Amino acid sequence: MEDTMRFKRFLKEENLPTPWCPGCGNGQILKSACQAFEELNFDKRQVVIVSGIGCAGRSAGFFDMDSVHTAHGRAIPVAEGIKTANENLKVVVLSGDGDLLGIGGNHLLHATRRNTPISIICYSNEIYGMTGGQVSPTTRLNTKTVTTPEGNKDCPVNVQAIIKAHNCFYARSTTFHLAHLKKSIIEALRHPGLSFVDVICQCIVNNGRRVGFKDAFEMLMYYKNNYKINDNTELLKENEIGITRWTSA
Amino acid sequence: MSKQLLQGNQAIVIAAERAGLGFFAGYPITPASEILHELVGRKYIKVMQMEDEIASINACIGASLAGLKVMTATSGPGFSLMQESIGLAHMMEVPMVIVNVQRVGPSTGMPTFPAQGDIIQARHGSHGDYFPIIFYPNSVEEIYRHTFSAFNAAEESLSPVLLLSDGYISHLYETVELTNYPVVQRGRPPLGAGNRHFTGLTHKDSCPVTSSPEVHRTLLAHFQKKCMQTCANYNFYEYIENDTADTLLIAFGALSRAIYNFKDKYGVFRPIRLFPMIEELKDFASRYEYIVVLEMNTGQYCYEVESLLHREVELLALPGGKIDIKEISDKLQELRQASSKQVTIN
Ligand SMILES: Cc1ncc(C[n+]2csc(CCOP(=O)(O)OP(=O)(O)O)c2C)c(N)n1
Ligand SMILES: [Mg+2]
Repeated sequence: MEDTMRFKRFLKEENLPTPWCPGCGNGQILKSACQAFEELNFDKRQVVIVSGIGCAGRSAGFFDMDSVHTAHGRAIPVAEGIKTANENLKVVVLSGDGDLLGIGGNHLLHATRRNTPISIICYSNEIYGMTGGQVSPTTRLNTKTVTTPEGNKDCPVNVQAIIKAHNCFYARSTTFHLAHLKKSIIEALRHPGLSFVDVICQCIVNNGRRVGFKDAFEMLMYYKNNYKINDNTELLKENEIGITRWTSA
Repeated sequence: MSKQLLQGNQAIVIAAERAGLGFFAGYPITPASEILHELVGRKYIKVMQMEDEIASINACIGASLAGLKVMTATSGPGFSLMQESIGLAHMMEVPMVIVNVQRVGPSTGMPTFPAQGDIIQARHGSHGDYFPIIFYPNSVEEIYRHTFSAFNAAEESLSPVLLLSDGYISHLYETVELTNYPVVQRGRPPLGAGNRHFTGLTHKDSCPVTSSPEVHRTLLAHFQKKCMQTCANYNFYEYIENDTADTLLIAFGALSRAIYNFKDKYGVFRPIRLFPMIEELKDFASRYEYIVVLEMNTGQYCYEVESLLHREVELLALPGGKIDIKEISDKLQELRQASSKQVTIN
């Protein structure tokens, strides 16, 4: 196999295609995670993937490793149980923003406090994608969604603040900045404690088109123009992506 | 062999440890908290005090899939929070023991007072169809023994098994013979051994299949079959025949201890395995004209008995945490008088 395709060994190709819509960003995150595993030369029998429920939550089913597809919001406590039972396993959570920050938000708060050594990759499409485009905990102020026709009046969750408050690893990237995304996941997987990668990704069908984007490409161009990479800071600004500095307490 | 004076909750802990418990996750709640307290600091058991009961059962799911024997313990309010993930554990075939030390509900009710209000919740509380194995012992000695049964049945059926208790049994002190009962080991390799996909979606061969009624029906039949097969080895009940009596009393848990007082006038049946129901009850019940179910709720097992026997079953409902022999005796008399009046009118 060509070297650049070696990441595919982490995928169960017979389970493809994914159920995701044309233009969806989730596939890029799945691929970036596999590339990061490949770059770190992971042994497939030492990694366990855990997902919650939602479009992003379907991720676990596409890996050629043992994987667990839990209930909505419960990926983190399941992952903590696995890691606590067998600390030799690398436990990676891949799930959605609604799953991890809404219904499962309390688990994230306490997992960061415990600093359980798991890596969490959050597919932040800023919407409840699977259920048809309702407002999510990461939806920006004034954004129109199915359940906020006048624009979202609630402040989006400051996930960076939650993660950093307990001195865990935090990186933010997008599905446009693929090299940066891969690097962020690699650093997260290398981190000794709890690590969180916040991936801003496009959902054209249930979010983008309702707020005026013509197609997924336009959303990616928006990410390109809007976000500046800053890998040398403690705290990212709203229009920055980056791997934030971490120092052991 | 050694005898020891133990509290019900302590007996659960010692038996669990001997049955191979490797992981416990829980959240404090009276009257179950002693289980969490007693487990802390034991060498081979990892203990996590989680942020709530939802996290607790989900951490148990993870640790069980990772190869350990796991347990959580709670009371009614926490048990309600666990319901969604109990269904998940059935769907993913995750062995675990869930202890529910019942107290008076709904809601916060009468904390620490014993109750039997979670019978329907234990059998039917999660959504969809599933087939739980449920034990409910009535002494400290028996809860020690059936903690082993619960762990073993969980391994054999690869499903969550419920061990019901109540504020009375769990806080009672009795002497226990610390027998080492046989222990069933896990057959399935732990996480990290393959490329299996454990999912709450309907599935076949580790792969989600979400639009085939046949696959779903086959999966349910598989769950039911392994539950029934496992149960054949755990057919626990107590029956005290009375061939001069016309009435069979049915009770379990704390309340059943009071019912022994009436064995001279009545037959007594006490299921230790509440679900799946004990089939022999059909035969025993056929020897009596009347069946009375006594329970510390407003009638939960009564309906199950009725549907098993396909005949009318009377209820003596005793909610509110009170077990009073005189009250029970009076009420039984009232019931009998009421039904004998009915007979003469007819
Ligand atoms: C307990 C429970 N409540 C609600 C649902 C319905 N539900 C399924 S997916 C989902 C939203 C998922 O959103 P997110 O995590 O952002 O994932 P996305 O689909 O956007 O990738 C909801 C509410 C559910 N499955 N379980
Ligand atoms: Mg989402």
